[in-house]
Parts: sequence; structure tokens; C-alpha cells
Amino acid sequence: MATSADFIRLAQTLPPRLTRFFARYPPNTANDVVKNPFKPTIHPVTKKWHNPVYSLRRQRELVVLARDYGVEDLLPPTVKKTAVREKRALEGPKMKKMRLPKGKEWERTLKGRLEMREKAMRGMPNLIERWRKAGHGRGWTEWPR
Amino acid sequence: MAKKVKSRTVVVRLISMAMTGYFKSLVRPRTHKPLSMIKYDPVVKRRVLFLEQKRGRNR
Repeated sequence: MATSADFIRLAQTLPPRLTRFFARYPPNTANDVVKNPFKPTIHPVTKKWHNPVYSLRRQRELVVLARDYGVEDLLPPTVKKTAVREKRALEGPKMKKMRLPKGKEWERTLKGRLEMREKAMRGMPNLIERWRKAGHGRGWTEWPR
Repeated sequence: MAKKVKSRTVVVRLISMAMTGYFKSLVRPRTHKPLSMIKYDPVVKRRVLFLEQKRGRNR
């Protein structure tokens, strides 16, 4: 069981940027959507949306820093957390077009077809010689499908 | 009903052995041996061997 002394000792090992953040938003106090500094909030009176306290760029920087010091779980929920990012990477892109392979089919298969063509052209003099010897097709058996 | 008479000639497809997908369609007598010849393939810009494709249901 971790005591408050453990937490203080942990806090002393953290860089100032993280300690400042945890001083302002102590762990498990900013987890709901309204208090979370990583989420946009709607003003109760004017109904106007306000940006998160921390931009997505700064959220990412904090998460990376916290991850390096092993305290990522103490941060409020954000899309930049490793677990969320891994889950989203597994799900793949949401947009239908992005799930399709890139390029036209002729572009994707071009390299293979060119290789096949080159290989066939390398063997062409040999093939023609065999065909000539077989009586210009009279004794030929390898007809293509 | 009378049996359907097969025509004397058949249309055959001679495909380029350069694997370019280029082909020539020729007519030959049904009883003749399969055709093969050296012809120009404009894709590789060379004269290459053309061989007759096997005829069948799934060609």
C-alpha cells in the first residue's frame, strides 16, 4: 500500500514540468469531462465551447514525459495516451477510402509485371531457338493456357 | 433437332511470349495444327515468339 510519503518521494523524482502539472491537477481529481484540462468545455451560461487548457501538442508532450517517468496513468484521460493510441492503431483508419490500398491496380502491379516481362525477354532467344529446332511449332507441346 | 454443325474454321488467339498481354487473333482451319510465329510486339518493341493459346471452356 502506497503512503503519502511514497507519493512525495515519487514527486521529487519528477521533472518540474510534471510536478507543476500535478500540483495544478492532482491525480484522480481531474478525470471527469468538465474538470479535465485535456478536454474542451462548454460554458454553462453562454453555451460557448472553450478550448482545452492544454493543446493537443502540449498534451502529447506531457504524456511522453510522464511515460518516460512511468507516471502516465496519473494523467487525466486524453487521446494522446499510449493505450488509446495503440487501440486506435489496431482499429485502423476510420475513413473508408483510407482503408483501401494506395494507388491504382495497374500502379500496384506494375513492378511485378515489368519483372516478369524482363525475365521473359531474357529467355526469348533461347525460346525461339528451341521453337526453331522443334520445326517451327510442328513438334511443340508447351502451348500457353 | 439436327445436331449443330461446327464451322470449318476457328478463331484462335496467339499470345506474345514476352508476357506483355499483347495478342493477335487469327483464323485457321479447325483440323490444322496450332499456329505459332515470330511477330512484332509493340509493347517491348521487338519481334518475339507468339504461340497459340489453348482452346477450352475456361481460357
